[in-house]
This record gives sequence, C-alpha cells and structure tokens, in this order.
Amino acid sequence: MSKSMQRGRPKAQEPRIFLVGLGRGAAGALLFGIPMLMTMELWELGFYMERHRLFLLLLANVPLLIFLADRVGFERTTTLIQACRDANIAYGLGVLMSAGILILFGDIKIGMPFSEIVGKIAIQAVPASIGALLGRSQLGGSSDDQHGGKHDDSNDGDNAARDDNEDAVPDELSTSYAQELMLMAVGALFLNLNVAPTEEIVLISFKMTPWHALATMIISIGIMHAFVYVVAFKGTHEMPAGTPWWHAFFRFTLPGYIVSMSISFFVLWTFGRLDAVASTQALMFVIVLSFPGSIGAAAARLIL
Amino acid sequence: MTEISRRPHSEKKDPHWVEWAVGIVSGLLILTIMGWVGFEAITEEDQSPSFRTAIIQKSAIESGVRVEFEIENLSTRTAAAVVVRGEIRDGITVVESAEAMIDYVPAQSKSSGAIIFSTDPGEKAVWVGAVGYSDP
Repeated sequence: MSKSMQRGRPKAQEPRIFLVGLGRGAAGALLFGIPMLMTMELWELGFYMERHRLFLLLLANVPLLIFLADRVGFERTTTLIQACRDANIAYGLGVLMSAGILILFGDIKIGMPFSEIVGKIAIQAVPASIGALLGRSQLGGSSDDQHGGKHDDSNDGDNAARDDNEDAVPDELSTSYAQELMLMAVGALFLNLNVAPTEEIVLISFKMTPWHALATMIISIGIMHAFVYVVAFKGTHEMPAGTPWWHAFFRFTLPGYIVSMSISFFVLWTFGRLDAVASTQALMFVIVLSFPGSIGAAAARLIL
Repeated sequence: MTEISRRPHSEKKDPHWVEWAVGIVSGLLILTIMGWVGFEAITEEDQSPSFRTAIIQKSAIESGVRVEFEIENLSTRTAAAVVVRGEIRDGITVVESAEAMIDYVPAQSKSSGAIIFSTDPGEKAVWVGAVGYSDP
C-alpha cells in the first residue's frame, strides 16, 4: 500500500490525500499554536509592537516554512515549487486557525481597530504556521508515505548512514550541514516564541547574577549535546565508531548554541525587549531565552 | 521498512572543513560571551539602584498637560515597580502632583513614561523623580 502511495498515486485519491494533509496541518497549527493563542502578552504585542519588526518576523518566517515544508511538511514534496505551495498553505492555515481561535476566545471583536485585529492574527500566525507543517511529522502517517519500499536496496548496517546522505528522497534522513543548522533555528524559534513574550524572561534575568548566567550557558550547551548524542531518544544521533565525542560537540552543538542565541536575540529585538537596555543586561535576556531555545533546537534535530 | 525510521541518525565520517570552521568560530564566540559574563561576575559591585530622571517633552493634551520623562538606572541592580512622581511647584508649595509606575528599570538602562497634569504648569517649575521601587 505504501508503495502505491509513493509511486504514482491513483488520481482519484489525490484530493482526499490532500484534504487529509490539510487536516493534519490544521491539527498541527492548533496543537502547537494553542499555548501562544492563550498567552495574554502575545495578544498585547499584536497591537503595540512596532510594525516594521512584525513585518520582518513575518518575512523571516517564509524561508523557514519553505524549508520545513521541504523537510517535513504535511504531505510529501519533491520539488521546491511544491514546498513553496505547502509553505503558502501552512501560512494560510496558520492565519485562519489563529483568527478562528482568537474570535472564539472573544479576543477579536467587531469594532476593534483594523490594525489591532491584523496585528494579533499576524503574530499568532507565525508559530501556528510552523505547527501546521509539524503536523505531519508529529501527528502520524509519516512512516507510511515516507519510507515505503526503500529498504529493498540492500543496505548493510555499516554503510547505511552514508547511503542516507546520497538518498534522493528529500525527507529521508539526509540532512546537509546547513539544513541541520536550519532545523535547529526552527526548533529554537518555535520554543522562543512560546516563552519570549512573557514577562518571566525579563524577570528571571533580573533575578540572576552573572554567575547564574554563566551556569545557564554551560548547562544549555550540555543539555543540547546530551539530548542529541547521549540520551537514547528515538531519532538520536550516532557518531561513526572511533570518532571522539568532541567532534560532534564542535561541529554541531556549539554552532547550534550560537544559532539558538541568534534566534533568541532576534525574537527579543522583535518584541522590543532590548530597547534602551544596557548591553550586559540584554545579553542576560538572550542567555535566559537561549535556554529553552537550545532545548528546542536539540529537540528539532531529534523529531524532525 | 520500519527499520529505517528506527535507525539512529548518523553523522558523516569525513565532515567538510566548513563544519569545523563554523564549529571553531562558534566556540570562540561562546568563549567570548562567557568571558564577558565572567568578567561582569567578578568585577560587579553590588550597588543599590539609583536613578536620574529627565523631562523629554511637554505637550498639551485634552485632559491637561502631558510631561514625558526618561528614567535611567545608573546602578548595576535592576529596580522593579519604580514609582515616578511629578510635581508642579510654585516656590515651595506643590500645586499639583501625579504619579506613574514603571514596571522595570533595568540596570544601567533607560525606561520612559509620562505624567499627566490637569493644570498647565505654565511658567511654574515641574519636578519629576523616582520616589520608590521594589527588588525584582
């Protein structure tokens, strides 16, 4: 069955498969978007944050979505055009779901200024659209339409990993280095959007001394590395035999932490948290936000 | 078929030099940041918050006069719930006073707000300053 889905689906089934994909996307948008849809600070940001920053966030989301659609998506894609189409659909789903839920919660009402309504929906659409694309990988069906009939080519255990890297199936585990970093960026962005709007990020960094911040950095990096290479989750990464541990630490974990810090900085700046704040204090915010960010980055490498 | 999805991801045996370059640059960046934070940790003195307020602008609005101010925390400790009071003074008598609360004034950073008076200060002196705060 899986084979027939992968190679030449029957024409009649296509709309149905597409609708199922849409449903998964909507479910993903809901599942991953709901914590943010129920966060007061994010509603407020929707009307007071500076419009050029909101615009930049909305723009930055586009390449991330295309990348996600290509890598994960809510249906199998083979070309860039398809990935763009799916990213577009996901963004649309994100907007629709956000608007629907905000109306349901009475957070958007008739008579509100147009810019407030648009702002509230726009900011929620970012995490919701990411969620829409995670729908497929997290809510099922993936192994069915992914890996069908692939194992026929005789892979023996040792060189299987290398085969992966040359595989043509896009969502097979053949991630280039840049893609791996991009994945971490998506994971970090997603978790950051969850927590960055809350006042707690700022409050925590005010409660911390620089010593706490140093410890947080070390622990964040440690958790990132452990998540991916030590704790045996499904999807954990293995190093080829005989490679010292610090190879992966330098090539993936440290750049991953820098990616996470950069995303944290971008999100904090977008939300206007860094305005008129001294640089040391701003760095503390970034370190605090990078803690969930790095967990998100590491988790993204495992689950996507 | 199912074995594929269960097989752990595996890193390449012969990574491209770019991976090492990125890794080393990242390592250096992290060390720099840690050095910076570490330096702060060692040299920081525990000061109590101290403020400097400045009036930025006065403008007439429907309900009176709005006095916008900026408050700067000169110390290395953040203050929360900072109460800023503004007074219109005529000599030693206070004609009108009003307050604004600033959620946070982070260490060595600025926050801003406004106080609204119902009377126009005109030529009278306007004083704005912090009168209290809490520790976050």
